[in-house]
Amino acid sequence: MASVASEPIDTTIEVPGKRTPLVTGAHDYGTVTEAVCRLAECKTPKAWFLALGFSAALMGMLFGLVGYLIITGVGVWGNRSPVFWGWPIVNFVFWVGIGHAGTLISAILFLFRQDWRTGINRAAEAMTIFAVVCAGLFPGIHIGRVWLAYWLFPIPNQMSMWPNFRSPLLWDVFAVSTYATVSLLFWYMGMIPDLATLRDRAKGKIQQFAYGLFSLGWNGSSRHWHRYERAYLLLAALATPLVLSVHTIVSFDFAVSQLPGWHTTIFPPYFVAGAVFSGFAMVLTLMIPVRSICGIKDLLTDRHLENMTKVIIATGSMVGYAYAMEFFIAWYGGNRYETFAFINRAFGPYAWAYWIMVTCNVISPQLFWIKKIRTTPWMIFVVCIFVNIGMWFERFVITVTSLSRDFLPSSWGYFKPTIVDVLMLIGSFGLFMTLFLLFCKFLPMVAMAEVKSVMHEPPGHGDYQPDRNDYKSSEEK
Amino acid sequence: MSLNKEIMATTIEHPDETKAEPELLGLLAEFDNPHALMDASRKVRDAGYNKWDTHTPFPVHGIDAAMGIKWTILPWIVAACGLTGGTIAVGMQYWMNAVDYPFLISGKPLFSIPASIPITFELSVLLAAFGAFLGMLGLNQLPKLYNPMFKSEAFKRATNDRFFISMDSRDPKFSEIDTGEFLKSLNPIHVEEFWSDVESPKLPRNLKLALSLVGVLLIMPPALVAYKRSTVTNTPRIHIIPDMDFQPKLKTQNTTNIFSDGREVRPHIPGTIPRGQFKDDNIPYYYGLKYLPEDQDVIAIAAQDEQKPAEAEKPAAGDQPAADAQAKVDDKLADMPWVTEFPMPVTQKMMERGKERYRIYCSACHGLGGEGDGLVTLRAMDLQQGTWVKPASYHTENVRKLPIGRLYHTITNGVRKMPAYGPQIPPEDRWSIVLYLKALQKSHQVNADEIPDEEKRKLRDTK
Repeated sequence: MASVASEPIDTTIEVPGKRTPLVTGAHDYGTVTEAVCRLAECKTPKAWFLALGFSAALMGMLFGLVGYLIITGVGVWGNRSPVFWGWPIVNFVFWVGIGHAGTLISAILFLFRQDWRTGINRAAEAMTIFAVVCAGLFPGIHIGRVWLAYWLFPIPNQMSMWPNFRSPLLWDVFAVSTYATVSLLFWYMGMIPDLATLRDRAKGKIQQFAYGLFSLGWNGSSRHWHRYERAYLLLAALATPLVLSVHTIVSFDFAVSQLPGWHTTIFPPYFVAGAVFSGFAMVLTLMIPVRSICGIKDLLTDRHLENMTKVIIATGSMVGYAYAMEFFIAWYGGNRYETFAFINRAFGPYAWAYWIMVTCNVISPQLFWIKKIRTTPWMIFVVCIFVNIGMWFERFVITVTSLSRDFLPSSWGYFKPTIVDVLMLIGSFGLFMTLFLLFCKFLPMVAMAEVKSVMHEPPGHGDYQPDRNDYKSSEEK
Repeated sequence: MSLNKEIMATTIEHPDETKAEPELLGLLAEFDNPHALMDASRKVRDAGYNKWDTHTPFPVHGIDAAMGIKWTILPWIVAACGLTGGTIAVGMQYWMNAVDYPFLISGKPLFSIPASIPITFELSVLLAAFGAFLGMLGLNQLPKLYNPMFKSEAFKRATNDRFFISMDSRDPKFSEIDTGEFLKSLNPIHVEEFWSDVESPKLPRNLKLALSLVGVLLIMPPALVAYKRSTVTNTPRIHIIPDMDFQPKLKTQNTTNIFSDGREVRPHIPGTIPRGQFKDDNIPYYYGLKYLPEDQDVIAIAAQDEQKPAEAEKPAAGDQPAADAQAKVDDKLADMPWVTEFPMPVTQKMMERGKERYRIYCSACHGLGGEGDGLVTLRAMDLQQGTWVKPASYHTENVRKLPIGRLYHTITNGVRKMPAYGPQIPPEDRWSIVLYLKALQKSHQVNADEIPDEEKRKLRDTK
């Protein structure tokens, strides 16, 4: 224990020849467990109840409005001819995009052996699932008659009809529901060993029962770990193309139609980059306050934040490039409708939205080139808020500007949201935050087992002190 | 409740019978760091044990080799699941959209590879992911909520910060003393035994009651569905979701208080013509009349046609005034200025059209040859219910003499029991039918010298 450095380390500096630790502070396996489990075991602070009450109230408002919508009809939204895909679809794409960071961190960074992901992946995956829940809500109620939602699935029915498998909207149903399911499996499977930790520490009967049930009798057997790690690797390998496919297919919803401004081949990569961009921004927005409040700065160091800001610069630049390329192709393609659609986007009635988008998505992430901003949590937080706003506006600009100016000038219109639109968006944040707060309270917020496997190994106690090199050379086969 | 108490009482009364001797299930050795565990594992493996395991809070890398764990078959399970998912997806899309419910979209092929890629990919991934997750659980024999090792207080740290070796007593090399000594020689923190339970754990008291209650509740919905499906009821179905079953709109034959006359259906406004109903520019074509007579009752007369008593029926004494009225109508119709020539050029195409339409609309009652012997007529006469009016044969002198305008009028507005076909057959087709009808009449009564020689030969040959 004494050999572990206890003075604070600046994890954002690269020291040549030395690996920057992923866990700072004087931590061993036991204290990592303690730091994470404490959140689920300590007396619940009043602030948590306040936050939950506030989020749950917003969530209640959302469900109230959903009920109002179902009883009254979709006319309560601002969706009018020619803009039939208004805020609900904007919200859907926004939330699905946010839901990309979690599985990207878990799967792609896992395959690339980015060990720093272990500190952040659990919370990011949880965020993914909650974001997909919010996303799934909107198309679900957008269909109008929600009791017929089962028509979306190929279920034998009294009409002897099957869905149209050549429609991107149906691909979307499969993509989003597969993504939600696989993300949930991935998240839950990753959590089983940590739930077992909570089970073994639980004092109350209810906790013992619940954690006991959901940890499925995990006992840390190495034979189990062996298969578990294989399964985790396979799931990561499966989830990697899945993550890329989901927003690709969401973009097909737009790109496969023939509307100017939508009918472009750049959409799939551009949407995926945007999704990762917004997802990382949302992870940072959540984790910067959470790591301070929950006291897990040792597990979620400044280095973690800095790494994520680098992903944001990369994906933000891709998004900026895509905006520019869309304009270039609109001119270079020589299609007058396409040209009009883009000039109208930037200088037409929705110019205000377009320039909010450009400011937030293209300019603000470039601030991360400055190391000071990249390593100061509150500055990261502010930039990420801008990115979140910008990415919502990106979807608004794509959806609404193209629809409101279609081929027939007589049907042109200006989209105005109703109060129900606005409150539903706010309410969806309530739903998201409620789920996230429950997660913070009851589930292991950091993947303990994974962090332990990448942290520095503590020296052995007792009289056995193996030499690391010796044990490596004696490893057979 | 009393039953439960009895069961409990019996278990308490004979505790010795159910109580088995506790059995040693194995030994646990605890280590405090992964290196020590690794070293110890290697020794256990080399000592020739098979049924043993190590328990660690995180996957210790290199332990697989140290323990001699064989490579898992999980990837093959996942691959098989993924392929199954892909096959199901392709088969489903092909069968549903190209075979069972052919779905033609803008003339595109019913099935094509590119359009089925997204769903094939998604389903492959979905099933493969389930294969990975459930395969892992299955191979690990999880969930296994009860485990005798969990009774050890020390073992609770196996998910926290300690490392364990467990030796199973079923291993042929296992013996309580020797294995214990062997484990102690590995320098663990401590070694302990774990035993089977003396008594099988008791179920919570009211569990049976609760389970049977849940069972009854679960059976109720399917039972209710089965009952409702096998019985008949007069009450209308429950509209859980009304959709558009009840619409607040005005329908014919109903009353309303919106209009002063209380009728929902609105009469024609005088001096207006409904869209598509302007006919006065071609009177012969639309009415079968040379001109509209001064007496504008033509329409009214047509409407009265259906009240005519059947020719075959003898009017009852009480119906005498009605019969008189019919006679009057007949007279009026006879006096109408019916057209005697087709108001359009007569062509072979029109004749064929007429034949086709006649066979669709008329032949069921009038018969293919127009003798009034259609299948419906034959059947009706067979039933002898007296309500059927046999349609007149076209080949009687009376009918043969009728001007074509009158025939057109009959098709349009009906006669006796024959309903009006005007609403179903467009004027063009009605004239085609009249043309074919005239041909039928001709075919039944023709002078020998009017038949071409070639046809005569044919007739002779067929005889």
